[in-house]
Amino acid sequence: MPEMNSGEFKIPIGPQHPALKEPTSFSVALKGEKIMGVDVRLGYNHRGIEKACEERTYIQDVYLIERICGICSHSHSTAFVQAVEEIAGLEVPKRAKYIRMIIGELERIHSHLLWLGVAGHEIGFDTLLMYTWRDREIAMDILAEITGNRVNYGMNTIGGVRRDITAAQAKEVMEALKPLEERTKYYIDIATQEPTIVERLSGVGYVSKEDTIKLGAVGPTARASGVARDIRRDDPYSAYDEIPFNVITDDHCDVYGRAVVRLKELMETYKMISYGVMNLPEGPISVRAPRKIPAGEAISRYEAPRGEDFHYVKSNGSDHPERVKVRAPTLANVQCVKKMLENRYLADLPIVVAAIDPCFSCTDRLIEVKDVDKKSSDVIEWNDLTRYSIDWYRDRGIDMTKVGGLK
Amino acid sequence: MDIVKKVVTWARIKSPWVLHFNTGACNACDIEIVAALTPIYDLERFGIQLKATPRHADILLCSGPVTRQIGDRLIRIYEQMAEPKFVVAVGTCASTGGVFKGCYNVKSGIDQVIPVSLYIPGCPASPKAIIDGVVKLLSTLKE
Amino acid sequence: MDAEETKQKLVSKFVLPDTSIRSPRTRRVFMEIDYARFREALEYSYNGLAYKALAAITGFDEGENLAFMYHMSNEEGVVLSIKTFVKKADPSLMTITDIFPGADVFERELVDLLGAKVEGLKPGDRYPLTDDWPAGQYPLRKDWKVENLGEGGSCQR
Repeated sequence: MPEMNSGEFKIPIGPQHPALKEPTSFSVALKGEKIMGVDVRLGYNHRGIEKACEERTYIQDVYLIERICGICSHSHSTAFVQAVEEIAGLEVPKRAKYIRMIIGELERIHSHLLWLGVAGHEIGFDTLLMYTWRDREIAMDILAEITGNRVNYGMNTIGGVRRDITAAQAKEVMEALKPLEERTKYYIDIATQEPTIVERLSGVGYVSKEDTIKLGAVGPTARASGVARDIRRDDPYSAYDEIPFNVITDDHCDVYGRAVVRLKELMETYKMISYGVMNLPEGPISVRAPRKIPAGEAISRYEAPRGEDFHYVKSNGSDHPERVKVRAPTLANVQCVKKMLENRYLADLPIVVAAIDPCFSCTDRLIEVKDVDKKSSDVIEWNDLTRYSIDWYRDRGIDMTKVGGLK
Repeated sequence: MDIVKKVVTWARIKSPWVLHFNTGACNACDIEIVAALTPIYDLERFGIQLKATPRHADILLCSGPVTRQIGDRLIRIYEQMAEPKFVVAVGTCASTGGVFKGCYNVKSGIDQVIPVSLYIPGCPASPKAIIDGVVKLLSTLKE
Repeated sequence: MDAEETKQKLVSKFVLPDTSIRSPRTRRVFMEIDYARFREALEYSYNGLAYKALAAITGFDEGENLAFMYHMSNEEGVVLSIKTFVKKADPSLMTITDIFPGADVFERELVDLLGAKVEGLKPGDRYPLTDDWPAGQYPLRKDWKVENLGEGGSCQR
């Protein structure tokens, strides 16, 4: 594999892409070993959903919007139906709101554990991927039990939820929380006490509190810089105005902080689910919704695992929306990534990007690396950059293979 | 088929190498593909390994309805794979476009761009369905 | 500052009629203002009323006009949405990235999907459409259909 030398340090160049220029997701300007700037090119996942929403009915749109992101599908569908319900003046039954909250928090569990595994993979700790994804299956099983699917639950309808949680299922949820809590405590211990991990993640991807606010970051990314933004508390929806919980923040402002926030949040999530199940109100699970939604507009926000999910819906009296706008949380966090990588090393790119928990696929992004001094540029594959970064850190004494066996 | 091909095919049945590629999917199928490789579902017990480059892959596991941005890259990856090669459309979007069929930025399915050997439906396709599908593909290779 | 107070302050600062501003529920304010005064309204909201986060910019095709709704939020969870208009025949507007650097990607979306002309944007990649997207085709315009791509339906190539 040909290598590009920049002083003593080599960047791996993946398979050549000669004839046609391939679109890259990241464009990195390197001066020596340091990153001068990063451009992020989005649009890979642009499917034309907002337009499609106008061409379909509200109910069809619930299923479409659920599939914007396969990890936070319930977040998107709940945000959407909430907006439509507000326009139509529907009073969603309390039981439905609690069920939505329980599903939403179960989704947060599977998302954060998934993230932990992915982060482990990016720093060369694949065992963590195997263990966290195994634990994650506890959440997947419960979700499949309650909703009928592992992802894309189809729980929401306009006016409430489509399926109830039975007493037996409620009991299973409570049972499932026990091992999840235990495992999460274990992961918190590893993340905060295992010196190799702490060293690997500390100081990486630093962005100050001021910059975090200025650049509009949301979710755990923002909370890890001490910015206490959480839609569940700031702009409560669903059952969150009744459920006691803490907003978790951290002051490290780096990847380590982002890991700690997600893990500690999960401990809050377990309490919320427990409270929700124990206090599940009696009553119907939905109200009838009209097919045609009266003219109006509404904004609905949801604290997805990645942060604030923003939905705007405008209706025109027909059964098709006039306009649907969705701003997923990753779009808000991408600006911060550029700041986080300024003056850092190329080897930091994979984990810094992974640490915002981006909602695009990890396996196929190409990175363009431009050497500012040599005026040359090459395209590398994400996998190659991950391997390079693992080697780079190992050369500097941070070796994941030295981390003790997981339980 | 001739003896060389039989040996090569036998080796491939023993341990096919797969490349996973997302063509603009919502990530649900991608996660299920990776989950299929974790010890709980364990595609690896069939000798199947995830590879990072098309040049080493026998089977291309594709998710997503193929966005405009990714179409050319998908073709290029397919071209870089050596024969015999097989493409698996994982999930309803990869098979038919799914809920995104007709959206202006998607081609509505992998087979609109490259030939597909096997379709695994599901939204998302579950790890069990993915394993079932890949095993079915491997057994057809024996013929 | 809650929605009601936000509304009062904006009404008195910009002398807005009732039809131009409403607070339909807690934590929501919707207002409309002509483009000539939009920048001033934005700066006042940011500096004077502490709406420091920009959540999104929603673009609309409203026939003769293109409309843009800027959604800002404050620390108390209130969303203030300011809608303004330009003529479709000459859809120019100024960037707001000097106040909200994060607006970059939202403004590029207005350019790509609605055909707005945002002045002052730093050179950069378009978003979200491909470089080879045919010029003059704005998917979010009301009269645009997939068939306009002339590729036998949804972008077959």
